Amino acid sequence: RPGSRRPLPPAREIQEEELRRFASRVAALLQGPELGPEAVDCLQRLHLTVAATKYPRKLDGKFVELLQTVLCSSKCPEQIQVLCAAILREMSPCNDLILSCDEIQDTKLLSLVSSVLLAQGNKKAEVSAVGQRIVKVLERRLPEGQSAQYLLPVLSNVISLSPESLTEEQTNVVSRKMADWLRYASIQQGVAQPSGGFFSNPRTRQPGPVTEVDGAIATDFFTVLSVGQYYTQDQWLNVQAFSMLRNWLLCYGGKGLKTPNSDDKSGMDRSVMSVVCTTSTSSRLLPPKERLREKAFEYCQRLIEQSNRRPLKKDDGDLQKACLIEAVTIMDIICKQDSSYMYRAASFLKILHGRICGDATYARALLPIAQFFLNHSKMAAVDSDAIYKHLFTDIPAQLFHNPSLAFEFVQFCKDNSQLFTETSSIFRQSFPNLFKFLAWNSPPLISEFVDLLPFLLDAGTAIEIFHLLLDLPCLTAALDIQLRSTALPTSERAASDPAVKPATCLEAFRHPLYKSMFQYLLRTKSAPEDAPERLIPLRQLLGSLASSPRVVQCAETVPVLLELFFRVVAEFADGPLINQLVVLLLQRSDQLYEIPAFKDDVYRVLSSQLVMLCKLHPALIVELSKEILEFSGTVSNIQNKEAIFTHVVWAIGEYMSVSYDKRCTVEQINRFFETLEAMLFEITQLRPLASTSSYAPRAISVLMATLTKLAARSQDLIPRVSMFLSKMRTFVQSPAVTSVYCEEDLEEILIRATELMNLLKMPSVAQFVFTPPVDVASTQFQREVNDSLPFALRIVTHLLEPAPGCMPG
Amino acid sequence: MVRAFVLLALGGPDPPAPPGPAPPGPAPCRVLYARAFGTPPGSPPATGGPPRQRLRRKEQLLAVARQVASQCRLLQSSSGRPSSPQLPQLPDEPISLQDAPGGLFQLPPGDPFPERVTVAWLSVLALAFALVCDPRENLSLAEVTLRRLAPRLLASLRLLGPGADVLLRPETADLLLDRLLPHGQMLFLNERFLRAMDREMGIKPSR
Repeated sequence: RPGSRRPLPPAREIQEEELRRFASRVAALLQGPELGPEAVDCLQRLHLTVAATKYPRKLDGKFVELLQTVLCSSKCPEQIQVLCAAILREMSPCNDLILSCDEIQDTKLLSLVSSVLLAQGNKKAEVSAVGQRIVKVLERRLPEGQSAQYLLPVLSNVISLSPESLTEEQTNVVSRKMADWLRYASIQQGVAQPSGGFFSNPRTRQPGPVTEVDGAIATDFFTVLSVGQYYTQDQWLNVQAFSMLRNWLLCYGGKGLKTPNSDDKSGMDRSVMSVVCTTSTSSRLLPPKERLREKAFEYCQRLIEQSNRRPLKKDDGDLQKACLIEAVTIMDIICKQDSSYMYRAASFLKILHGRICGDATYARALLPIAQFFLNHSKMAAVDSDAIYKHLFTDIPAQLFHNPSLAFEFVQFCKDNSQLFTETSSIFRQSFPNLFKFLAWNSPPLISEFVDLLPFLLDAGTAIEIFHLLLDLPCLTAALDIQLRSTALPTSERAASDPAVKPATCLEAFRHPLYKSMFQYLLRTKSAPEDAPERLIPLRQLLGSLASSPRVVQCAETVPVLLELFFRVVAEFADGPLINQLVVLLLQRSDQLYEIPAFKDDVYRVLSSQLVMLCKLHPALIVELSKEILEFSGTVSNIQNKEAIFTHVVWAIGEYMSVSYDKRCTVEQINRFFETLEAMLFEITQLRPLASTSSYAPRAISVLMATLTKLAARSQDLIPRVSMFLSKMRTFVQSPAVTSVYCEEDLEEILIRATELMNLLKMPSVAQFVFTPPVDVASTQFQREVNDSLPFALRIVTHLLEPAPGCMPG
Repeated sequence: MVRAFVLLALGGPDPPAPPGPAPPGPAPCRVLYARAFGTPPGSPPATGGPPRQRLRRKEQLLAVARQVASQCRLLQSSSGRPSSPQLPQLPDEPISLQDAPGGLFQLPPGDPFPERVTVAWLSVLALAFALVCDPRENLSLAEVTLRRLAPRLLASLRLLGPGADVLLRPETADLLLDRLLPHGQMLFLNERFLRAMDREMGIKPSR
């Protein structure tokens, strides 16, 4: 609430009637002789009222007209004008707008009015009208006291909203002026505006030349990196012109009209061998587009040279880097539009790269340089492999913790995603390095990696990426330790004694026992690991960091990426790869970083993806029977990895059948049966002296169901199952059990057992229900684990136990 | 081009439990000032007329604010910093942006703008400043621009003092933006240029 004035009611609550009265009061003030503080105060409150609600406020059409009149009135103080514009913009799009920029001569006012017009949504081609007016004003000589500097930003906005607003002739007019502003601004400093007054000295001091950012006298033409105490009009225009140069060239620099964001690949019409040397004498003869291109190129070269100087003011260093990036980007665009600039640019940028590649503060500039060579190296015949190698090997490893660089690097990868499809390329090989960005800066980068991951993933990288994703939070922890280790003074970095176990993670970093594990995790190149269990000690060691906020944030991204991983893999994986993944899935379920929520989420994803893999390749149950038997026969899995266990058992029931794989023998079915029977026995056993532990009810259900299914296929087993199922009543009703399970779950178990028993009374029906022909699209069996069976069973049960009175006889 | 500028109050973490009924939850972020520079390209034609377009604009800017607040919270927690802002400094003390949290993130097409945008943000105490940029914008310059806008807005609007002056002085913010980000155009201004601009705006140098 505002503190300096009397408290207002919440602006949202002001009623329409009250608003109308207030508007009349404001109108009276605005039409009065003097527009003073009271008018300002009222306009401010009006703005707040209008802005505070999501639905538009109704203001009288005449009042809106008055606002526009006041806005355009030259006698009006600037503050009032700005407030009127703000209110009009806040209400936009606005039907009552009579504003037009056609008659306005004052450039500052034109800019202000344009801001209102450009907010109208271009229904009535306001954007084009503004563009036309601006160019018209720029074409002619401006009256005294008026400056074009207020117009250029409007123009820039116009062309980014609607580049078709200007005709070719108009763009030529502006291009010509821009070339002059860029190249011929004064290199003398401006003068202070004379302050006037009795004691002021009418003789102004002779201004000196502008300087470079390091204080040296300017060596060449004026640029944004030229420094002076006061600036002249044309120097302001120089800054404005450069600031909008990239956009302008993208729109109008190439052949024909392009929108600012489209990729301009045209302009490669000059032959490779023609190197057109344009000297400054002949340049005046160039058409405007080409002349601007030339001046722009020279400007960029100068900026790149100027960025080599050490600035006196630290903040100028940030600007130097921004200028460097802009200059390289513009050079890239110029070369796309006119390939004759290629050789100059390529050799120039190669030298620049050599200069900055060792300086971490310039790392972000390496990206546009690399992009340039990616776009042009074929034509320039420059060997740029060293550039890519440095970029992908060294930069992520050293600077993963720089969030801006991380973001831009990943954008670069997305922009050039086709590079990752070549198996042997340095880009593809470096994917472990790329994940460091994500591991450290998870929240802003997760959505970027969701876009990028499909390009990194194929049959050759799938396994390694699978492990990498599961170990992503470990990577975060390892990076943390690496950073801390690098920050230690060299004296404290002595290698640890191999005989003594390390006391802290930091010590372990250099310990011979752990060193190679760290190095593997922190590798910069793809290196498939044959024995993933080799990292177990490291994971345990890193357990102390498992609750660090950054690690937890990273862990939260893994389930999303895992699901995506499997979705992509499903598209290309063949039988052997699927088998490999399933085996690893079961193996890794024991080897996960100990973050509780993380493990649960991962189990959830892995279990549903396991089902998906089985559907893709049902024969895996038979092919991997050894591993699956082992997994499903381990009692502790029911507690520790319930989700995976349940889905594995379901898959056995579903796919262990001769319909899916001819190799499925009765012996195999029996072996699975025995294993699962033993498991069910184990968890439903009532021990008189020991307390009963509770297991997930759905695990019990799925075991019963799978045993029934197997028995339906190997009918000698039916009596065993039936007997077991009949014992479930005793289990469910025993006091030891009712005290640890909830009533609904026990009821559900009993119902399920009964249904299954009923089914087994009709073995041929059971067989039919549980062994659908594979080629029939039986969608009811493709539903969730917990839904599919009850549906089928209820139908059958309904057939077996009809409602009384329905059956004849 | 910059499509929009947003100044928001971050909203809080859960307030300390006072006696009485439980607080409703963390205070949501609030847009204190927002400026859009034209209708975003790719916007569907005006179905539902001007009120709908205006509503869409306001909702888009609020969506940006929410994302910024969320990213800021996540960054603060990952770096182990306390989530509650430190005590506000005296209004005349120069604000140090040295360790000010900030970052970059993308918003996908359709959510909330028709085309993909990149957001650059900077947070100072309980406030945040955000630039909504075209995807190919010079993000280094965006960060420089934010570092210049923030202290000037903080000072001119007296954002660190008591009272919500910013809501009642849109023209002050407008005038600042007209100089440093006119019509969404970011400017390559070196320190001296900036000083000259400050002089024209009547801002005293604070260093």
